Amino acid sequence: MDVTTSGRLPAFWTLVEAHGDELLHHARRLAGEAEAEDVLQTALLRALRAYPGLRHAEHLRAWLYRITTTTAMDVHRARRREVLTAAPPEPAAHDPALDLALGEFERLIASLPSASRTVLRLRFVDDLDYDDLAAALGCSPVAARQRVSTAVRALRKELAPA
Amino acid sequence: MSPLSERFLADLAAAAVAEGLADAVFCRLSTPIGKLLVVQGPLGVCRVGFAEDPEDALLADVASLLGPRILAADRELATTRDALQAYFEAGEDPGVPVDLRLVRSPFRRQVLETLHAEVHAGQVVTYAGLAARAGYPRAARATGTACATNPVPVIVPCHRVLPGGGGVGSYGGGPARKRALLELEGALPRPLGV
Repeated sequence: MDVTTSGRLPAFWTLVEAHGDELLHHARRLAGEAEAEDVLQTALLRALRAYPGLRHAEHLRAWLYRITTTTAMDVHRARRREVLTAAPPEPAAHDPALDLALGEFERLIASLPSASRTVLRLRFVDDLDYDDLAAALGCSPVAARQRVSTAVRALRKELAPA
Repeated sequence: MSPLSERFLADLAAAAVAEGLADAVFCRLSTPIGKLLVVQGPLGVCRVGFAEDPEDALLADVASLLGPRILAADRELATTRDALQAYFEAGEDPGVPVDLRLVRSPFRRQVLETLHAEVHAGQVVTYAGLAARAGYPRAARATGTACATNPVPVIVPCHRVLPGGGGVGSYGGGPARKRALLELEGALPRPLGV
């Protein structure tokens, strides 16, 4: 449920209190328990900076989902750079089997365009349903479903024996 | 789905305030007359709401005046909170600055500014008396409307304005609250406990 019904922007805190819990949940799925609060704080500060410039008060919940998603990906990229530049690498603190599976997944999708990789990660690694995926990508659930199926088709083509 | 912690919310608000991202801050206070919502902008307290006032609409009103970046920030409101706490304990004027720009009518704003500046804790004034002090001696009835639409009750003391014919009269927060505030300030005798 969106908290806005009229055209004017609600107080920012009204949004935080209405959607903060589900955004934290979303950040956990994207970034893991340890990083979730940092990701969400960074995302909400980004949102706050942009908030007065919004020209209408529609889709604010989806807008916050999108900023949280983008922030989680930025943090993910920054961490990966840290891991690549730091030697020796930190021993993995999580389930090695999961790491292996994730590594395998990343290897499978490596040749796809970055937009397709993002869609596939959100759908199959983060396990977002099509409504959440739509909010995260800033599109409709129908468009989200189309993007997943396009990405899956591209992956099939990629993996098909030549 | 676990909720956001108080600590997370306080840290978020503090980071935003430190970066200059807050148009206004607010806090919720528990008081003897129920929960109060206190909203403060750069010039002073601009809105006080009673427990039954719809919060989202009240904050949206402030957003239309000061901007939408409004945050709950207890720490940043420490001075105002302490002053109000002291008021509810001792009945002395909170003496915090107010911003009456939410009052769009110049006449009503003049009435409320006069009330805030001149009628102190322990004192009362009639609607006609306040009208005369504000420079509009014939506008007692309109002065009543100015008090009824006061956006900063308790701090701008419309509870100290009484009808000329006796009794406490009406109050935006209900006559029981008006009586309680006047008793707290010693302007009305407290009823004997049973």
